[in-house]
Amino acid sequence: MSALASAPSSSLTYAPVLDKRFGPKARIEARPAKDIATITLTDRSAYIEVARFLRDDPACAFDLLLDLVSIDLLNAPAPLRPRDGSRFQLHVILYSTRRNDHLRLIVNLPEQNPRVPTLVNLWPAVNWFEREAWDLMGIEFEGHPNLKRLLTHNGFVGHALRKDYAAGQRWLCTEEDLLQTDLAAQTETPEDIFETMTVNLGPSHPATHGTLRIVLRLDGETIVAAEGECGYLHRCFEKMSESHTYSQVIPYTDRLNYCSPMINGFGYARAVEDMLGVEIPPRAKAIRVILSEFNRIMDHMVCIGTNLVDLGALTNFWYAYQAREAIYGLLEACCGARLTSSYARVGGLSADVPPNFDEWSRSLFPIIKTQLDDIDGLVSKNRIAHKRMRGTGIVSRENAIAWGFTGPCGRASGLAYDVRKDKPYEGYDELDFDVPVMTDGDNFARYYVRMEEMRQSLRIIDQQLRKLPKGPVTTDDYRVILPPKEMVYNEMEGLIYHFKVVFEGTKVAPGYFYSSVEGGNGELGYTIVADGSGNPYRLKVRPPCFPLFAAYEKIIKGGMVSDAVATLGMLNIIAGELDR
Amino acid sequence: MPAKVVKLEAPADNFAFRVYLVEVVKGMVRTLGHLLRNVVPIFVAEGKKLAGNGDGSVKGMPIVSFPEARRDYSERFRGRHILKTRDDGSLKCVACYMCQTACPADCIRIEAGEHPVLAYEKYPTVFEIDMLRCVMCGYCVDACPKDAIWMTKDYELAFFDRKSAIYGIPMLTEKPSDTAADGPGYGYRPYYGESPARKAGEFEPSGLPLLPVLEARGAAINRMPPPPPPKPA
Repeated sequence: MSALASAPSSSLTYAPVLDKRFGPKARIEARPAKDIATITLTDRSAYIEVARFLRDDPACAFDLLLDLVSIDLLNAPAPLRPRDGSRFQLHVILYSTRRNDHLRLIVNLPEQNPRVPTLVNLWPAVNWFEREAWDLMGIEFEGHPNLKRLLTHNGFVGHALRKDYAAGQRWLCTEEDLLQTDLAAQTETPEDIFETMTVNLGPSHPATHGTLRIVLRLDGETIVAAEGECGYLHRCFEKMSESHTYSQVIPYTDRLNYCSPMINGFGYARAVEDMLGVEIPPRAKAIRVILSEFNRIMDHMVCIGTNLVDLGALTNFWYAYQAREAIYGLLEACCGARLTSSYARVGGLSADVPPNFDEWSRSLFPIIKTQLDDIDGLVSKNRIAHKRMRGTGIVSRENAIAWGFTGPCGRASGLAYDVRKDKPYEGYDELDFDVPVMTDGDNFARYYVRMEEMRQSLRIIDQQLRKLPKGPVTTDDYRVILPPKEMVYNEMEGLIYHFKVVFEGTKVAPGYFYSSVEGGNGELGYTIVADGSGNPYRLKVRPPCFPLFAAYEKIIKGGMVSDAVATLGMLNIIAGELDR
Repeated sequence: MPAKVVKLEAPADNFAFRVYLVEVVKGMVRTLGHLLRNVVPIFVAEGKKLAGNGDGSVKGMPIVSFPEARRDYSERFRGRHILKTRDDGSLKCVACYMCQTACPADCIRIEAGEHPVLAYEKYPTVFEIDMLRCVMCGYCVDACPKDAIWMTKDYELAFFDRKSAIYGIPMLTEKPSDTAADGPGYGYRPYYGESPARKAGEFEPSGLPLLPVLEARGAAINRMPPPPPPKPA
């Protein structure tokens, strides 16, 4: 609520307080206009102290932890490498829901024995992010309750995102999976071992909607303990992007959240554009907004449709997928594929929309509205749906913030944070739309918020179609994007630009950058570290459902198995995005 | 624009809701409505002996009776690639390795050779695309400076082994299954974009007849017969 009410703070109001308290230990960095504020620790030992201050001091109040980025600066060029020669770097991305402000806290770690105290006691959301950093970068977090591998297998050797780890190595992982025994050891009394039972939900289970696994310890039908496991779909997206040019990463982004593929590509392209300082033409921005909203509708339709199947309501699934199918036709006409869209380019779009885009988009409105009304009519006042969804999987506002919830799940818990409103991009600030918020925090609230968001998305599309500007869809800076084809075919200069962009890629000046968009599930953030070459030096995605799934085991504890299934569906865990 | 937050409330727990039966009837009306909307046109169509394409598909019904009927794809559909040829049947490709470099999936392999027609200079002796690696992103089409590679609407690509998934020049020059010239079978192609320099009718996209142009400039042309069509691998 308050996040939206307060105006975005452009100046660092907390700078004097911080300076007074920590002096030279924490240095506030000058950042490019579009990036977020940054504090670098010059004294590593002050890490926890500064972090606690940032969370608790009323002038800072950074209560939501968005992301933890680990970077290996081995052989990095001088501007990136810290003066003390540290090899590793951690970026803690924070957000203040009260002041609507982002912050990055940087701490440098030495090459030998990179250790840092854990932040779990300050922000519980960091739990899995720290496990990921340990798994892929080998940074140790002192005092972490459960520091073990997350995305790779137990038998994996080495830390894959380190620069001295060659891509393409193969390991035969034969080691037994220890999750089940881990969970068995957690029983409180020996008696529990006989009275309870350990059950696998997934990795191949119809209710998981993807390959992820939850180990449940059951007393009858009640969940005594649960532990989630992901990584089955880990495709080394971040490692692979380091060996591809900035534009070659775009096809990879389609596979992150495959229910709303275009938003990922647009978000990534925008991050690189902001970093380069490239402005894309207004038509490209408008098209990005329209197609993002269509993707959001698809994402919510899939979430609601499939989850209602898990609850026993098959009809809604057909209605939801009918609308999605109609949207797919439009997306395919724009980009040439239904799901693997690759429509975004750094500096615009791969092509203009088809000539009948306006009529086509408008012809989808009645289809989507009919299906929405049908689902609404069948479910919203359905007593069975209420019995299944109301009061199950409750997440309070405090917990939602502590666990790093954003997006529809956060808004269902009363956290009125929407990147489109709070940090507007691509002209969302010129559009009139509402952010639906509920305070119940249960599965029904998540369902209801999503239904309303789809209606708001239609409103956005309608407004944006009305003022769809004419003109090009790509920037005319040919160091960034391929020049028009007639220049390439007929002119020497055009051909040279073309060769440079294809062979060397778009060169981004050394530095780091964080940029986020509102994905289908929440804040989709990209941290890009550039070293001046055509490939990203390090790319880190903040997948919105990563913190959701990390919190899942806590939400379902004490409930019934059937409620756990409803909760899993309504959190909308997308394995492609979760595992990257 | 002032921020707008709407607080939603779950539907109230009133009498009609608790009775349950009212909502059941309402729901039945909705689903039966769908049923009738889907079924009635079938009977109407049966009466007219399915005047359409005879594939059982009915207007308004969200069904494609595959494989008798097929979904229409756009002119940008990214299916199997096609290597374009000049008028004399030789490949337009000049083996510049641009598509191979641009490919994010690393699935294109090119080996260059000297073309028997001097003016053509360079051409690919080997051009292979590993269809199992290909992610159909269309970057090769965007990267080609010679308009030599397009994509088609052919999407049914199935193989019995990995080896047969590697398409060579004979497979890649095959015309799309339902096409005449630049007809409906072609999919993703270079996007010409909007450029201030472009004037209507001034620009011939691709396929510039190279030899006559060179001849007009007075270049000595080595008139050799066109190369034999490439042998199947």
